[in-house]
Amino acid sequence: MNKLFLAALMTGALVVPGFAADYTIMAPAAPGGGWDQTARAMQEALQAEGISGNVQVTNVPGAGGTIGLAQFVNQYSGNPEALIVGGYVMVGAILTNASPVSLAEVTPIARLTGESDVIVVPAASELQTVDDLVAMLKADPGSVSWAGGSAGGVDHIAAGLFAKTVGVDPTKVNYIAYSGGGEALAAVLGGQVTVGISGLGEFDAQIQSGDLRALASTGAERLEGSDIPTLSESGVDLVVENWRMVAAAPGLSDEEKAAIDADIEKLVTSATWQGILETNGWQDMYLGGEAFDAQLAADITATEAILKDIGLVQ
Amino acid sequence: MSLSEPSISRRPDGAAFVIALVLAAIAGVIIWQTSNMRVPPIQARVGPTVFPYVIAAGLILLSIGTAVSALRGAFPAREPVRYGPILWIAGGLVAQMLLIGWAGFAVGTAVLFAFVAKGFGRGPLWMTLPIGFVLAFSIWFVFSRGLQLSLPMGPIERLVP
Amino acid sequence: MDTFGLLADGLLAALQAQNLLYALIGVTLGTAVGVLPGIGPALTVALLLPVTYRLDPTGSLIMFAGIYYGGMYGGSTTSILLNTPGESASIVTALEGNKMARKGRGGPALATAAIGSFVAGLIATLALAFVAPWVVKAALAFGPADYFALMVLAFVTVSAAFGDSALRGVTALFIGLGLGVIGIDLQTGQARLAFGIPDLLDGIEVTTLAVALFAIGETLAIASSRTHLKEEVLAVKGSVWMTLDDWKRSWPAWLRGTFIGFPIGAMPAGGAEIGTFFSYAAERKLSRHPEEFGQGAIEGVAGPEAANNASAAGTLVPLLTLGLPTSATAAIMLAGFQQFGLQPGPLLFANNAPLVWSLVASLLVANFMLLVLNLPLIGLWVKLLTIPKPWLYAGILTFATLGTLGANGAMSGRLGPIPFSFELLILLAFGFLGFGLRRFGYPIAPVVIGLILGPLSEQQLRRALAISQGDPSVLIASPIAITLYVIAAMAVLIPLYFRLRGKGAVLQQMASDED
Repeated sequence: MNKLFLAALMTGALVVPGFAADYTIMAPAAPGGGWDQTARAMQEALQAEGISGNVQVTNVPGAGGTIGLAQFVNQYSGNPEALIVGGYVMVGAILTNASPVSLAEVTPIARLTGESDVIVVPAASELQTVDDLVAMLKADPGSVSWAGGSAGGVDHIAAGLFAKTVGVDPTKVNYIAYSGGGEALAAVLGGQVTVGISGLGEFDAQIQSGDLRALASTGAERLEGSDIPTLSESGVDLVVENWRMVAAAPGLSDEEKAAIDADIEKLVTSATWQGILETNGWQDMYLGGEAFDAQLAADITATEAILKDIGLVQ
Repeated sequence: MSLSEPSISRRPDGAAFVIALVLAAIAGVIIWQTSNMRVPPIQARVGPTVFPYVIAAGLILLSIGTAVSALRGAFPAREPVRYGPILWIAGGLVAQMLLIGWAGFAVGTAVLFAFVAKGFGRGPLWMTLPIGFVLAFSIWFVFSRGLQLSLPMGPIERLVP
Repeated sequence: MDTFGLLADGLLAALQAQNLLYALIGVTLGTAVGVLPGIGPALTVALLLPVTYRLDPTGSLIMFAGIYYGGMYGGSTTSILLNTPGESASIVTALEGNKMARKGRGGPALATAAIGSFVAGLIATLALAFVAPWVVKAALAFGPADYFALMVLAFVTVSAAFGDSALRGVTALFIGLGLGVIGIDLQTGQARLAFGIPDLLDGIEVTTLAVALFAIGETLAIASSRTHLKEEVLAVKGSVWMTLDDWKRSWPAWLRGTFIGFPIGAMPAGGAEIGTFFSYAAERKLSRHPEEFGQGAIEGVAGPEAANNASAAGTLVPLLTLGLPTSATAAIMLAGFQQFGLQPGPLLFANNAPLVWSLVASLLVANFMLLVLNLPLIGLWVKLLTIPKPWLYAGILTFATLGTLGANGAMSGRLGPIPFSFELLILLAFGFLGFGLRRFGYPIAPVVIGLILGPLSEQQLRRALAISQGDPSVLIASPIAITLYVIAAMAVLIPLYFRLRGKGAVLQQMASDED
């Protein structure tokens, strides 16, 4: 038995290098969430397009992705076949959780998809425009209750930035955190809160049916065919986008990074990937190379500033 | 506290006093940790510290209640513990925990399976280990390949494409 | 077309061979994963989502619904037979169910669970078809203050699960409440009682705690005790089937469980577990055999099992009519709808009526299938109890750790160079807690109930006070909240009053006069 075991081990050691061009994608979240779906969509497209022969997805959930990130850095340093999916939520989570590992320790590859937040009110609300909301907020910041996702998440950051941009003290924002968009949606529909702020996907069906009124979206520009104005169109100079990205392990050579860059570029232009984006209603926000590095750095600085302003980070 | 025979007497119960102490200690830890928390300015109302303090207060009351109940010997009778099986089972869980990260799910779980069986008096290990391995490996195969569940892989699991 | 016509069309669609096959795969898979502790329907559907990219949307959704119902049903089997709940919604079932199984009445316990699930699923699915819009309106009227009142009522009724000592019951509850504080506070993003350990930031997972306390605690308790180890478990004593008396006692419990579970499932912040707590408490209060509770009362299995299946159907109400997922599984099913380009919500019934109605119809079919599949299997399931203890418990721990690793496989701990799973460490620690609790006569269920109810009640209270900007009068401002508080007060005061007046004699008199 022992000999057999040893033989198996040795064969294993010999066979491992044979899988050279195969990626392992870590989704730092439980199966089913946005990052997991992104990772599994990448797996699907990379395999279907023949970019990579065999792609594995591993789930390492916890603490806004920071547990997965730490494990990724420890386990895969210098491994050119390891990828991790992440997103804007991670930027905030690293700061609020005082994570020992930051995004500076991985090799960012590209931003893949994204979604902007929308600010909605119940159909019966007296608030008709962003101006009405600004007026109410300026008169008494505490009287405007905002329903959105967890504290320190993208929705909370967007609400804080909104207040700051229109000249209201962000620490006065009366933000009510709900776990998951569904509960926030119920609170807005039931008229329990003044406004709701979360990803467009959470509110879309109710906006279309007329149960909710969208005051504005936080995106840089309007979605194609959408009649929801952006904040900048409404006179508030603010853009908040919740993006998802892919990054590689730390300690890669320039050639290794270039190879991954090329594979991801092939992925995002492939028909399979575009088809997946279409059916899931994901917005293509592909941004690679140095442009993404600059964008990431800017987002980290801005997020740190607002989290300090809201009082979540010291 | 008597180890030789079930204690059915109404004497003060030593072990129950320990429980009272543990409850008080937990309350202490909750109060200590909560008092060190930095409360953000937005939560001036019922903040994140209120519930922990309420729970700690409750635990202190329960600790007192437990101490009184221990004095009266009001806890149910206990039979003596056989420590051997506990060591085997806990050992199996610890061994599995330390093995699966690098040796893989099948090897780690085989050890757990064999040790638990041993704890219940079934052996020898050279027979139960292979049985456990076959079971654990089949489970790994079904869940990891069939259902795409991410379970830890070791050298043996990596042999399977 | 009226609802009946639409439903009839849906039934025709659901009865097509291909859809029947999907429903069959779904319920079989669902039952299988429901049986495994830790791996629930949510995880299964999540993992199957990518596999179904290329399948037919109706078929896949029917399969998912089958998994959901199957999972709710399967969770009860291990709960009853092995005292290891596979799902948090079947924890309450273990209280009476396992006692029955130990007396050789595992067959009737499984049967009442299966038939109760069927009855509840049937009524609740019909309710989904006919009254969904009204139920949803009522559910949305619940504000944070009302939810808090509901939680207060839940706390009051928890005492039904306390066993023979109130002191030990409350202590167990407070241990659960204390564990519930661990992790990031949702409202402020601040870590509480996490001791700087990143793995604790997300809090203690309910299924991990339940599996540890029940499965591992039980294994340790049995292995370490001479009497338990030698105890011969009777697989079957008397009939495997329910007696006439069992039927008589079960059917009112099924109906009550259904009417408690369905609306609570439909609430955005309800959840299947809470319905089972209420149902158990109600059965205990209303039973004509209160002395049997804690010793294996069949109502205590029938009610909660009906409630958890009814609430599974209940969660589909807000999902289909509002696109609002109220449970982990519903959230994943929503992702499933979106994957096929369907947006559940107010427009789904208008835009995709045939699909919705074939889904509703296939729930009826899946429900029927579960009954047909499971009733004959009961005889086989109870044979589980005849497996020799070494193999049985080695197998239970294998599957318990599999479920824990499957839900969270992070190797985030480190002992020198060796990486290990922190979740398994938690499992071991709480396993010993479960052993200690058992040894000193503490009940197990209140710990898990505390972990579930504590965070819910805290968040709702703080939301209510934040929205009102600190004005506490908001807590008793709505008629819903007032009604709930009155019920809670009655639940406490009425038995107290009778006990003071006649030392319980009056109550017993009432109970025996009722027939």
